[in-house]
Amino acid sequence: MYGVYISFPFCRQKCTYCNFASGVFTAELQSAYLLALHEEILVSEKPTFDTLYLGGGTPSLLSASELAALVVALENQSIREFTVEAAPGDLTREKAEAWAKIGVNRVSFGVQSFNQKVAGSSGRKHTAATVVEEVTLLRSAGIDRINVDLIAGLAWQTPETWAAEFEWIERLALRHVSVYMLESDDDSRLGAELRKGGSRYGASAVPAEEQIADSYLYAVERLRGLGIHRYEISNFASLGHESVHNRKYWTLQPYVGFGADAHSFDGARRWSNFAEPAEYVGRMKAGQTTRATDEVIDDGRRTEDLLMTGLRTREGVTLPIASLSKFENRIATLKGLGWLEQPAPDRLRLTDTGVMYSNEALEQLIF
Amino acid sequence: MDPSRIRNFSIIAHIDHGKSTLADRLIQMTGTLTEREMKAQVLDSMDLERERGITIKAQSIRLLYKAKDGHEYQLNLIDTPGHVDFSYEVSRSLAACEGALLVVDASQGVEAQTLANTYLALEHDLEVIPVLNKIDLPAAEPDRVKEQIESSIGLDSSDALMISAKSGLGVDTVLEAIVARVPPPKGDPNAPTRALLFDSWYDIYRGVILLVRVFDGVLRKGMKVQLMSTKKTYEIEGLGYRTPNHIPSDELRAGEVGWVVANIKEVADAKVGDTLTDAAKPASNALPGFEVTKPMVFAGLYPVETHAHGQLREALGKLQLNDSSLSYEPESSVALGFGFRCGFLGLLHLEIVQERLEREFDLQLITTAPGVRYIIHLTDGTEVEVNNPSRWPETQIVDSIEEPVFDVTILTQGEYLGGILKLLEDKRGKQKKFEYVAGERVMLVYEVPLSEIVLDFYDRLKTLSRGYASADYHFSGYWKSPMVKLDILVAGEPVDALSLIIHKDQANERGKQLIAKFKKLIPRQMFEVALQAAIGNKIVARDNISAMKKNVIAKCYGGDISRKRKLLDKQRAGKRRMKRVGRVDIPQEAFLAVLSVGDDD
Repeated sequence: MYGVYISFPFCRQKCTYCNFASGVFTAELQSAYLLALHEEILVSEKPTFDTLYLGGGTPSLLSASELAALVVALENQSIREFTVEAAPGDLTREKAEAWAKIGVNRVSFGVQSFNQKVAGSSGRKHTAATVVEEVTLLRSAGIDRINVDLIAGLAWQTPETWAAEFEWIERLALRHVSVYMLESDDDSRLGAELRKGGSRYGASAVPAEEQIADSYLYAVERLRGLGIHRYEISNFASLGHESVHNRKYWTLQPYVGFGADAHSFDGARRWSNFAEPAEYVGRMKAGQTTRATDEVIDDGRRTEDLLMTGLRTREGVTLPIASLSKFENRIATLKGLGWLEQPAPDRLRLTDTGVMYSNEALEQLIF
Repeated sequence: MDPSRIRNFSIIAHIDHGKSTLADRLIQMTGTLTEREMKAQVLDSMDLERERGITIKAQSIRLLYKAKDGHEYQLNLIDTPGHVDFSYEVSRSLAACEGALLVVDASQGVEAQTLANTYLALEHDLEVIPVLNKIDLPAAEPDRVKEQIESSIGLDSSDALMISAKSGLGVDTVLEAIVARVPPPKGDPNAPTRALLFDSWYDIYRGVILLVRVFDGVLRKGMKVQLMSTKKTYEIEGLGYRTPNHIPSDELRAGEVGWVVANIKEVADAKVGDTLTDAAKPASNALPGFEVTKPMVFAGLYPVETHAHGQLREALGKLQLNDSSLSYEPESSVALGFGFRCGFLGLLHLEIVQERLEREFDLQLITTAPGVRYIIHLTDGTEVEVNNPSRWPETQIVDSIEEPVFDVTILTQGEYLGGILKLLEDKRGKQKKFEYVAGERVMLVYEVPLSEIVLDFYDRLKTLSRGYASADYHFSGYWKSPMVKLDILVAGEPVDALSLIIHKDQANERGKQLIAKFKKLIPRQMFEVALQAAIGNKIVARDNISAMKKNVIAKCYGGDISRKRKLLDKQRAGKRRMKRVGRVDIPQEAFLAVLSVGDDD
């Protein structure tokens, strides 16, 4: 069954660590974007789907009626999982109730840190109290599947502030947590600053690589103690609370995306929309295609993609033995390093060490 | 033409002071080229020359000018290379002239390079005519600049010309001054032929083309001529003058300047400074000043992709066809594979060659840190020349070492003096001269080892003086110095391409700086990597790069698998650009780290 992704790349502020095409744009562009998005959904052929994910950007900026209009355009009645991403500080009782009424049953909070100094230095204005309050609002509106994102490696983070994050997870009795490690690439302001050795955006207060790795390992242990297990490199959940939608990406189930920088996969092709909202809007208005990329996924590529995504998961990846034979030597090397295990002839899985070097492992395996 | 109506002159100017613009104006005003044929900076014909605004090869252009006295004059503009690396070529071009225009930017004043070339012109008894350019700029200070010319060069500049080459203002006075003040060529049209070869280049259709200035006698089509340094004889197939189009003529007579094609196959046979004479009636003496230029600066050039080695060899061969001062010989490095040890006239020459290889031949190169040629006296009384750290002899058999030293002339504002003196001291310089020039400016002459100049001397000088100080250098001789070879070991293995020759007293400090630099430049590997700097068996600095703790893309967002794929591709490509030495991936920057140590510490 398909999953549907809707992209809303608008934010109140651009976080320093953000390496996506999201950001702060004019109100005019935002309303033009909504029209274009609505239009794209309306004119598209819509598959039957059972999960809907509204990501960003900050989709919690949308009013309840704007959100409802998009859902109506999708003409679908039986959604199993409907996730909306939210930045703490956008929710009101009215909005929470309206969301529940539309069918939202899962909310993913971009908390990143409950510590005000740590969150603040990356461009987040919320406090822990805000998060607590909004989680309560959602629960009383009947939305009880709640995820919190945390980033290991933000400026001013210490082992103590990191440990305190999990006190909050415990106190809020959350069943799903995402833990990301800061990525230093040139696509984010903080990443670029780190790479050139500067000190803006708190770059000089960013913890060393060892500390970031240790923080992640700490999270794995701490969450396990709370009954929240890692089921993908950066996703942790109690049994039965895993994200149904995200799992589709990792198991090569089909999905279709709407909006700027949205990605789609129908089993045979992958395509994506233009990443810049203005370009996306302009093309919609001009009646031009919004597709920036479109490629056929042949069997070889399918195997590689499955390895890239499936190896991120706890259960690993199951592939026909014939398609693994091509990788035989490489698999042996990685097993020798203790990064990869083969619980069955047709199954591969990264070890705990392998997870820490997953980029190296995948590069050696595939490229 | 009657020699009394010929004027041979060149233009001396600092980069950006307006030489090419003035030349363009002279060509335009004499109607030598039609408007359609004119493109800005006619003289600089190589793309690289036009882009950088510098002249690498010499040129000559014949202008016909009807002067106010009613006579028509043949003005031969001989354009000289504009950089100190080519000072021998400059001296030969100047030797072909009787006069020179000294063009100085009226707002910038005299620079070190101008100074050096003007001294050179005066040594050759040229009539030097000061020309103040950009006189129409608000910042122009003609009186101050005139005073500078007088005090730094000792040249009377009361009758300096005031022009704006850009607008054309005063350019007519330049033409008149050339006629009136540059002496006509002397020389005996009936004596045995002697012509100075002041540049040559290879043309795929016609072979080597020579630029010559005839001093005595005549050159004619069909004549058998001899190059006096090689004694080889050739038959002149064609000759003429340049506008800069090649215009054929029947002969070039004493005093004239032009091109000659004589079935010469290689530029190496047509050495700048050589004398062309009549093979049937050779002159008894060659023209003075001939020297064989020797490369002064050496560096290893390696293709990033090992399979491009053949391409690099071919490319170097093609460049050498036109540039006999470039030398190369095969060299192999454990770290970098197969490459070439190349010799250059100087740093700019190195840069030009490197850039042309990358641009015109589409090669990706790793260049090792530039070094110089040392003369090493061995304990058994023999002497070896070493221009490559990998050939450095064992300490036990070395008796003494001599290194090349240059006279460096620096012109600076007084406010930067402190920093510059410190730099010269760091660079092991010895003061020869310290002089105030026209009040606020100081002229320094120091002897500095070339090995110190090639590292980061210019960059540091420019930074220290915010670009205001100018420098010029000339070979002055050899010094005895206690030099040692500093080796760098990565994960216990010496990396030959990182070795460098350095003064004993600087070795420990430089070793520490280099290790610190490598620690920053070499990315973490999957295991701990030891870094060591050593002289012989003695470790002078060490540190470790700790093992990589993680390499994870935490996010795989919104089903964007291509992003993940791109990242892995990039990771892969990044490793390909590095050189794997043993188990360690070393990025290209590390091979040039020695050029920038001390910059940011």
